Amino acid sequence: MKKSVLSLVSFLTVAAAALTGCQKQSEADAQPADNGVVTISAWSEGAEVTRLTNLEKASEKLNEELKSQGKDIQVKVEPKSFDGGWDQYAKQFMLSAKAGKAPDIYITPHETIGWLADGNYIMPLDELRDSKEYADVFPKLWDAASYNGHIWGALQDNEARPVFYNKNILKDLGWNETEIEELPEKVRRGEFTLDDMTKLAEEVVKQGKAKYGVIHRPVNGADFHYFNYLFGGQLYSEEDNKIVLDKSAVGKQLAYHYELAQKKLLPDKLISMEWKNVHRMVVNGETLFYYGGIWNVFNWGNDNFHDQLGKVDAKWVNENFGMMLVPAAEKGGEPITLSHPFLYTVNAKTKHPDLTKRLLELVADPKLQTEHNLQTFHLPVTERAAEDPEFKTDLTLGNIAYMSEYTTFLPNHEGFTKYSNVFWNSLQAVELGKQTPDQALESMEAQLKVDLGEDLKIVE
Amino acid sequence: MKKSKFLINGMRKHSLPWLMLAPFLILIVIFFFLPIILIAVNAFTDMDSALQWTFNGIDNFKKMLLDPNMPEILKNTFIYVFFTLAINVLFGLVLGLLTSYFIQKESVGLLFRTIWMLPRISPPVVYVLLWLWFFDPSPYGILNSLRALVDLPPGEWLSSNPKTAIVLANGMIGASFGMIIFSSAIKSIPENLFQAAKVDGASQWSIIQDIIIPAIRWPLMFVTMWQLLSLLTSYEYILLLTGGGPMVESEVLSLYSYHKAFESFEYGYGSAVSLVLVVIALGFSAIIWKVFGMKKMMGTSRVE
Repeated sequence: MKKSVLSLVSFLTVAAAALTGCQKQSEADAQPADNGVVTISAWSEGAEVTRLTNLEKASEKLNEELKSQGKDIQVKVEPKSFDGGWDQYAKQFMLSAKAGKAPDIYITPHETIGWLADGNYIMPLDELRDSKEYADVFPKLWDAASYNGHIWGALQDNEARPVFYNKNILKDLGWNETEIEELPEKVRRGEFTLDDMTKLAEEVVKQGKAKYGVIHRPVNGADFHYFNYLFGGQLYSEEDNKIVLDKSAVGKQLAYHYELAQKKLLPDKLISMEWKNVHRMVVNGETLFYYGGIWNVFNWGNDNFHDQLGKVDAKWVNENFGMMLVPAAEKGGEPITLSHPFLYTVNAKTKHPDLTKRLLELVADPKLQTEHNLQTFHLPVTERAAEDPEFKTDLTLGNIAYMSEYTTFLPNHEGFTKYSNVFWNSLQAVELGKQTPDQALESMEAQLKVDLGEDLKIVE
Repeated sequence: MKKSKFLINGMRKHSLPWLMLAPFLILIVIFFFLPIILIAVNAFTDMDSALQWTFNGIDNFKKMLLDPNMPEILKNTFIYVFFTLAINVLFGLVLGLLTSYFIQKESVGLLFRTIWMLPRISPPVVYVLLWLWFFDPSPYGILNSLRALVDLPPGEWLSSNPKTAIVLANGMIGASFGMIIFSSAIKSIPENLFQAAKVDGASQWSIIQDIIIPAIRWPLMFVTMWQLLSLLTSYEYILLLTGGGPMVESEVLSLYSYHKAFESFEYGYGSAVSLVLVVIALGFSAIIWKVFGMKKMMGTSRVE
């Protein structure tokens, strides 16, 4: 009968059983390793397997190091890669941690460290900041790994979320080569604003040069929140450790999406589309602008999205698309992007904290970073890796590396997931025309007050 | 003293039945009672991703009263359960009549019943995938290709009519349950009743109305009650078809509990929502028990 009740409860039962059972287990396991082999387990999620293979390669270096120190230990990395949703992945970790079976290294997007730290799942890694391997991390990136005054993870990678613009459509509109190539620079200088972008999109649609002016992701995600920062808002208050509802910025944010929908610049019901259709529309030149991510180049090369060409390579993408920052809200203002660094976090109950930490220092090796970056279109976290000749000459990455200077992050507070779910509902409401931006803001405020309670700070 | 001796004797006398029942009782306790007790306890905590049992009194229930989504979710739950139940029972009845009364040949009736049972034996994900293709918003979706034949533009079915979609998908699969129960009930009606009616010149309609329906009164009530309870608490087809969206337009109470617990990791609040669902289900059971006179059905057999 009661399936929802049952699933919730079987979960609770397991959790409760695990809570009582785990103590004995960890004591029993604290034996010296067999034959001097220490196994360090690591979990990752998604197609970017280099996050794990890099750990394995780093373990080889660690083993050489241990040998030269005359220690009779060898480290073996036991990787496990998950498929499926991020919430499933998080749930797996919660349960296995309570059962004492969590991996030593848990690879996770940075904004999860709030709940991981609050729930005592992971240990602070402040000493990494002083290690020579992480000495040249781009300083801003440490913000993504910080929560409650501590560093909770080793930065693994970084990325950029550029706005893709279709060069052919602009050419069709009468722009010359230089104008087209200069657009990213004009955006960077704040000469080309968000309003200009909307106007250009309108013109293109009006003249029938493209079906749509603008496309954004069809499902909830991090991208939407850069508009909050762009309109001068904030999402998190560090001093109160609270999620912030910045009413003026969110109002502008919703008004922007409302405008895009009302002017018919977006595909009808974009928010209920499937990802593959969105990729198809972008690659086949149906839209002038696309709020994407740099890893989309990786996606487009892996699937047959183009009607005639099928899979398209990075060279094709660069010939047909330009990439720019999200334009400033007003002339002379700052453009923006948002990145979503990944972290190697360390299980609070790991039996080998020192070896694991040393492994995480070695995995920051510029060569290993470059391997991951080139294969999966990500950006490096350290200056040395950014100077890597192979990385610098990469067609796609070389052109957008500067975007790290303009980057922002999501808050690491655990309440942010709730905020983001509520915001997503309001965004759907304005794009479907079911609510005006004012109404949507009002219902968002009411819902957030209930969902976040004490954890919410409202800024007028 | 006398009483306890009596009890011990009784237990000795019944020890074998108890022993035989024990495995099932243990299973029922573990999988039915314990869950509800755990849910009930957890509903008074603010358990989140840290999985700590921190008690917070009736905060979760206060929160539910203030939750702006609640009125719409309750309304959706009501609409969903009412219409799906109507399809389940009425359509199930129609199918039962068709395959066991109107089609007298058993092999043909069985074939149709088997076809209607197919969705039940296929995994929910596969079944929902077929509906997703049916409602696909692109011009290639089944429904939209049909519309194209008569020059109608493609529609966005799942976002414009999410409630209709979930009612249809659940109604169709649920109807097969009623079909099976009703057909076997119709089969068990003594043949001579039909013959007598025909001799008297009764119309088909009056045979259905005056012979079949009264004869399958109990199965009808049983199916109604059973389906009502399972619809209140089932959410997997909605989760797979619309995910409760757009916004909360097709979100029902059981799915909300799932989303709160497993997507926002508010286990405490999710449990509280589940507890309310348990109370609602118990309430409905009691009402139906009284109104339909279920006690009589459960009582000793009155057949012949």
